[in-house]
Amino acid sequence: MEETSTQRDPSFFRPHGTTMRREVLVIKLILAGWLVAIVGFQILAYLLEVNYSELLITDFIFINLPIQFWLSGQFLPLWFIILCVLFNIWMDRHSAQSLEGSLRFRIRPSSGEDE
Amino acid sequence: MAHGMIQLVPILIVAGLFALLILSGLRGRSRHAVEYGLNGSYTGRVGIGAGIASNWMSAASFLGLAGIFYLKGYFAMAYVVGWTGGYVLLLVLMATQIRRFGKYTAPDFVGFRYESDTARTLAALISIVISVIYCVAQFRGIALLVSWLFGIDYMPAVVIGTSLVVSFVVVSGVLGVVRNQKLQYFVLICTFILPLMMLTRKLGYFWILPQFGYGEAITELQQQFDFNWSEPFADTTLFEWLALCFTLMFGTAGLPHVLSRFYMVPGIKDARWGVVWGLFFISLIYWSAPAYGVLARLFEARNGLTLNTGADAADMIVLSGAGLGGIPLWAIGLLAAGGMSAAFSTTAGLLMTGAASFSHDIYPRLIRPDATEADKVYAAKGFFLILAFIVLALALKPWGMIAEIAAFAFAIAGNTIFPAFLLGIWWPRANAPGVICGMLAGLLISFATLIAGDSVPFIAQLFPVTSSAFIGAPLVMIVMIITSLLTAPPSAAIRLFLCRNVHDCMDKQ
Repeated sequence: MEETSTQRDPSFFRPHGTTMRREVLVIKLILAGWLVAIVGFQILAYLLEVNYSELLITDFIFINLPIQFWLSGQFLPLWFIILCVLFNIWMDRHSAQSLEGSLRFRIRPSSGEDE
Repeated sequence: MAHGMIQLVPILIVAGLFALLILSGLRGRSRHAVEYGLNGSYTGRVGIGAGIASNWMSAASFLGLAGIFYLKGYFAMAYVVGWTGGYVLLLVLMATQIRRFGKYTAPDFVGFRYESDTARTLAALISIVISVIYCVAQFRGIALLVSWLFGIDYMPAVVIGTSLVVSFVVVSGVLGVVRNQKLQYFVLICTFILPLMMLTRKLGYFWILPQFGYGEAITELQQQFDFNWSEPFADTTLFEWLALCFTLMFGTAGLPHVLSRFYMVPGIKDARWGVVWGLFFISLIYWSAPAYGVLARLFEARNGLTLNTGADAADMIVLSGAGLGGIPLWAIGLLAAGGMSAAFSTTAGLLMTGAASFSHDIYPRLIRPDATEADKVYAAKGFFLILAFIVLALALKPWGMIAEIAAFAFAIAGNTIFPAFLLGIWWPRANAPGVICGMLAGLLISFATLIAGDSVPFIAQLFPVTSSAFIGAPLVMIVMIITSLLTAPPSAAIRLFLCRNVHDCMDKQ
């Protein structure tokens, strides 16, 4: 890093080091789940409306709600929470492993803060 | 919603709620540290989440969302998805890294990362513009509530509402009131859900979880009144839906007052889990908001009323729907109190943040370089009043519904602050000329439709006022990348800081 060249700078598409590579991989997976769900559900609703008109889409009720209301209004926020929980669990495990590897002989602070 | 009638019971409930919040804030002064989760415990993370949610909940969430549902049906789902999905972006791409920078405001971050006072000042100006526009949405909500409570017209209600907000901030400041965010969130959720449960119970629907119970109203509207909520893209296009949704998500990840939550959290782990709790608390409101719009439409249909397409009526649909549903006046008063509390806290926070940005980042740099700390305090107080006056003037003639005005603020944040943070964190080559050109391009894109939308319709289609960041944010990033590559790279020190302190990438190179 001391050299002036920026060729070796880490970035989202060119992560350096094991820690960053793993973190970026998890971020990409989470973002893929996020994007596919948002765009996919809308394309599904659009295709249902275009191809089947009201016939299918208005009769398809799930937990009391028309399917697209349930998918976008109820499921997607829940899916976002699930994605965030998965990300945090991975980050917690990953940071615990990193701590164990790099600070094996250091006494942990009583507050429990490890990052 | 009789005009000219003073709503005494709701006024008393609103006054009582504010008294409760102020008293709780006075009591909370001594246990401030515990309240904000400085011990890093499980309870602390829930508290951080409640803080994020109560900070987030504004008139747009409490009143505006139901109004948009009432008028636009499924299209309004873009707000629900946009305002919740943005937190995923925020968590995985920014929350941890922002915390590692250790800066306390968006301009601080931009100034430090890009090593530029110009970029910092520009970020401060943009933060103030975003705050003003966001506040206009809140003032509109406050004015509509004041108008209903006191039975007066909108214009005088804006003036009274502004006076009340300024008085609230002054009284809170003089008394040293600490905002009890857990209590505030608890109040907001109760005042929003309880009347909804009463409404669905009155209709004989599944009232224990009214978030699902209101589905029967959609079916009834369709079968008995031929009012079709179910066709998702009947009046709009897939592009418009996605553009609005992604604009709100980019804006959520770029709003200065949302980002600032992560600077103040004691630990990175707490910041991350606080986001999850915050998202859950926010979702509780958003799972419920569509119900108010749908139920209000059903009550109107049952009473033989036609759809009222007026923006004022739609923004007040939460209260008017509850009135048509025949629930007791005290329950409607709870709704008014919750809406007022959400709008007041958001407005007060935004105005104070804007004033602080001015006194900290602009006044000593552009206006008075030799300003002392006392001068800065006076500048902050004076600018607070100026900001309140500007918002008052804009709120007298608002250009849209509450949620639409708020969405415009999100679009500006999505076009400016979001790309600056995203590339600032994840691309070390991004430099000061790049971010300055990018933020200026973002501002131009945000206002393009207002400036040239009439003469060039293509601009209005590509960059709708409320949805410009869908195309705009990627364009701004391209501008930032090209400008950065054509100019000198950032210093080795900041690149080293990003590698060592932000991304932890030095372990096995």
